[in-house]
Amino acid sequence: MSVQLSDEVSQLLEDAEKSVQQGQRETAYQASLKATGLAPQEPRAWYLRSQSAASPEEQLICLSRVYSLDPAFSDAKQELRAAVQGLLKQEPFLAYVHETEVLYQVRSNLGFLVNIPKNRVFEKPYLQKEPGPLRPIFGWLYLSLFGLMLGGVGALVLAPITAFQALRFQSSPLSRGDQVRVWILLIVSFLIWLAAIPISLLLLIRIFS
Amino acid sequence: MLTRLLYLSTIWFALSLLVTLAVGSRLRRGDFVLSLIWLAIIIFMGDILALLTFGKFLEIFGLSWFTFAFGLYWIIRLRDWNAAGQVTWAMTVLTTILFMIYAFMLTAFSPLNPLSFIFALVFFFLEVITLFLALAHMHESLDVICRLQWHRLLDKLEPIPDYEPMVSLHVPAYNEPIEIVQRTLESLAHLNYSNYEVLVMDNNTPLEETWRPLEEMCRRLGPRFHCLHLDKWPGYKSGALNFAVTQTDPRAEIIGIIDADYEVDPDFLKELSPAFANPQVAFVQTPQDYSYTKKGIFSESTYRGYKYFFEVSMPSRNERNAIIFAGTMGLIRKSVLEEIGGWDEWCITEDAEASLRILKRGYQSLYIHRSFGSGLMPFDFEGLKKQRFRWCFGGIQLLKKHWEALMPWAHWVDPENKLTFAQRYYYLVGGLGWFSDVFNLLFALFLVLGAIFSVFSSPIQIRPLTNTILIIPAVFLFLHILRFLWVLRNRLKISLGMAVATMYNFFSLGWAVTLACIQGLLQREGVFLRTPKSKTASRIWHAIQVTQWETTIGLICITAGLLAFTTNQNWRTFSLCMLLFWQGSLYIAAPAFSLLSLGRETALAPHVNEQGRPILEQRAARWVVAVSMILIAAFSLLKILPSPAELPEYARFLPNDISLQQLLNQSESQSTDLPTATITVASANCRSKPRGGAEKMTVFYNGQQLEILGKNADLNNPWWYVKIPDSSENCWLWGMTATTSGNLEEIPIIE
Repeated sequence: MSVQLSDEVSQLLEDAEKSVQQGQRETAYQASLKATGLAPQEPRAWYLRSQSAASPEEQLICLSRVYSLDPAFSDAKQELRAAVQGLLKQEPFLAYVHETEVLYQVRSNLGFLVNIPKNRVFEKPYLQKEPGPLRPIFGWLYLSLFGLMLGGVGALVLAPITAFQALRFQSSPLSRGDQVRVWILLIVSFLIWLAAIPISLLLLIRIFS
Repeated sequence: MLTRLLYLSTIWFALSLLVTLAVGSRLRRGDFVLSLIWLAIIIFMGDILALLTFGKFLEIFGLSWFTFAFGLYWIIRLRDWNAAGQVTWAMTVLTTILFMIYAFMLTAFSPLNPLSFIFALVFFFLEVITLFLALAHMHESLDVICRLQWHRLLDKLEPIPDYEPMVSLHVPAYNEPIEIVQRTLESLAHLNYSNYEVLVMDNNTPLEETWRPLEEMCRRLGPRFHCLHLDKWPGYKSGALNFAVTQTDPRAEIIGIIDADYEVDPDFLKELSPAFANPQVAFVQTPQDYSYTKKGIFSESTYRGYKYFFEVSMPSRNERNAIIFAGTMGLIRKSVLEEIGGWDEWCITEDAEASLRILKRGYQSLYIHRSFGSGLMPFDFEGLKKQRFRWCFGGIQLLKKHWEALMPWAHWVDPENKLTFAQRYYYLVGGLGWFSDVFNLLFALFLVLGAIFSVFSSPIQIRPLTNTILIIPAVFLFLHILRFLWVLRNRLKISLGMAVATMYNFFSLGWAVTLACIQGLLQREGVFLRTPKSKTASRIWHAIQVTQWETTIGLICITAGLLAFTTNQNWRTFSLCMLLFWQGSLYIAAPAFSLLSLGRETALAPHVNEQGRPILEQRAARWVVAVSMILIAAFSLLKILPSPAELPEYARFLPNDISLQQLLNQSESQSTDLPTATITVASANCRSKPRGGAEKMTVFYNGQQLEILGKNADLNNPWWYVKIPDSSENCWLWGMTATTSGNLEEIPIIE
């Protein structure tokens, strides 16, 4: 993310860019090196440093840094891929360090810490799914179903509790999906309650006869 | 009336299915009029049989017209099927519904104590789910064999000139011996396709000596091949495949997944890539085939068992754009994979899970019914058992994660969910289908308990074992077994013997599937099954030990059946014994196959994926044993609670039972036989008048035979006027407490 840059850093970046274009690698490197020292959060500084880096390893580290600072930096993303490929050609070993929604952080066998773009949308893992606001009501619904299977009397009590809980949520600010779920919970609990009436009657007759 | 209608419907079902089994696969012409004629013939034949035996004209007439209308509906709905399939399906649905109604009536109105009623109700719900699954299997079988017209099934795609999108083939490997991967990679090096790359992703292989040769081989095979070793990588195979997407050439449009033990046909990409010219096609799947030489029953039946899914289920699913991406030997559009967020690292059947998410977005899938390669089958029964455990566990994970997306209201909850009714149905049935084996075990337990109670002359009091409740499920079971064998024979082109072996191969894995279902419900993270370890080096002993639980269950079933029959010899205990023999044989098949797999020698054994948390079979089985013990304890309570002292009023709604004699119309031939009642309950009160509250004169016990002197006039609530043995007195016995034999027609009605 570009932050408000000081005049000195802006000047250094301008110099580095010019030098890169003119093929003056050493000058560009010195300027970008100084810029990354002064503004380590500036992706462009790291990118320009990668353009004039002395070794492929340094280039890789700089590009990796650019990507972690600004995943939308498209040039850096492409070059990072090429740099990683170069590294893997030498040594195809990567150890997992950690990951975010947009990147993997890995360690190569040569000891470099590299960020690798994921290139895909983030899919919420099921295990980390936050319980929705309606989860307790679904719990009541499952209990009602269980009650229905075990003679119906439980469902006679639990299904109205499910419906009552669902009604309580109707006035809450819910997502569209959850609003529909509330209606479904109401309808299903009502159906369970209806089915529970004859079944529980059959059970009660057996208990009291 | 209900009972007679159920029997009539069962006759139609049996007749239509038997004819379908005989000619259903050969009938290649479909015609609306022909279907109607066939429907009428089946109805007419059933009616004649019923009229000659147990039927009543008006009832038969009414149900026949209803059935004709019902059949007509299915003939119109299933226009792509031949007449045999349409009529069989209509009759199967009708009979199943009638049986469900009968079972409910019997459950609801049998005079049971409260606990027995609760058990009966639970049993009824399980019965309904099992019947639903049986219907689904029937539909799938008829769909592939009686189908006249395939709309989407292809075995070849039209080549598109100059269309050769770049394909990135991902080969996940974990601890794979180089000899196995070598054959795979060499086959990939010889593909008749110019625009592709191969990424070999070795994840978490502990020893460097194992994965380094892979790297060397990739270097040797040329610049298309890239090898990567991922260390301490989370997410197992899916984690590695997700990382492979980041290392895929940006020009690649398609990703192919190839298991490390697959030899691929050179035309694989050339033949399949044209499918992606249609931007709506997200993935293409081909059958997973296996290297197989006819070396014994185990390997051949296992091979056929694998083929079943790709010969039966996938073509049927493909007609409704509801196939699953089975991982290896499939291609998937890279942009779609990125769009759905990659492979799910939580689900151990990540391929099937991804296909559901893709279909949810409204994309198309395509199944090409032609094998483009072959892999290695599990080396022995233990490997097969572990593999089936994983598949089932993954299926349950998928169901747990996506159940709401498969519900009828899914579109309202998530408008972006574009799954069609058929897609939701296939994925739901696919997930629920695993539970068949759990129900099978419960059914076996129920039968064993029935046998134990029978040995002690104390019939199980869940619901009355009427003739109907014994005959109809037995007919269902028999016909569904025939149907399964028919599908195996027709689709896999195998002999009857091999079809039976393949069927047993399927069922022998029931225990592993049961454990996986239970673990799938209890566990959240991926697990694998760890079978018991042998303390000796003997392979035979090990083969027996890995199937010790199946052997135990099988032997319990067979012993219980034998005991029940030898201690109390009648046709009911004989039926029970036969059912227990059948159940027992399904479990005993496991040690048999385990021993047969010993003869399978191969230089290359496929690697068994054991990533995840291990679940010890012994520990998992103890849970099953504990639940069984609780059930047995609860069953024992049934005996403590008394049965209704008087015949309750609600019992008059019980459906009438029909005796075997009536069913077979033996009344005339046995006109000299004395009408006899045999007590079927633990104890039955005999009363002074034909009603529940009347004075109790005596008590009869299970198995006791009594001469019938008369009957009441109420056909819906029959009472028998019987002679009290060793006495000059007579009394009234309620019809539901006994079965009858002999000539019942001429019994006088006593007012």
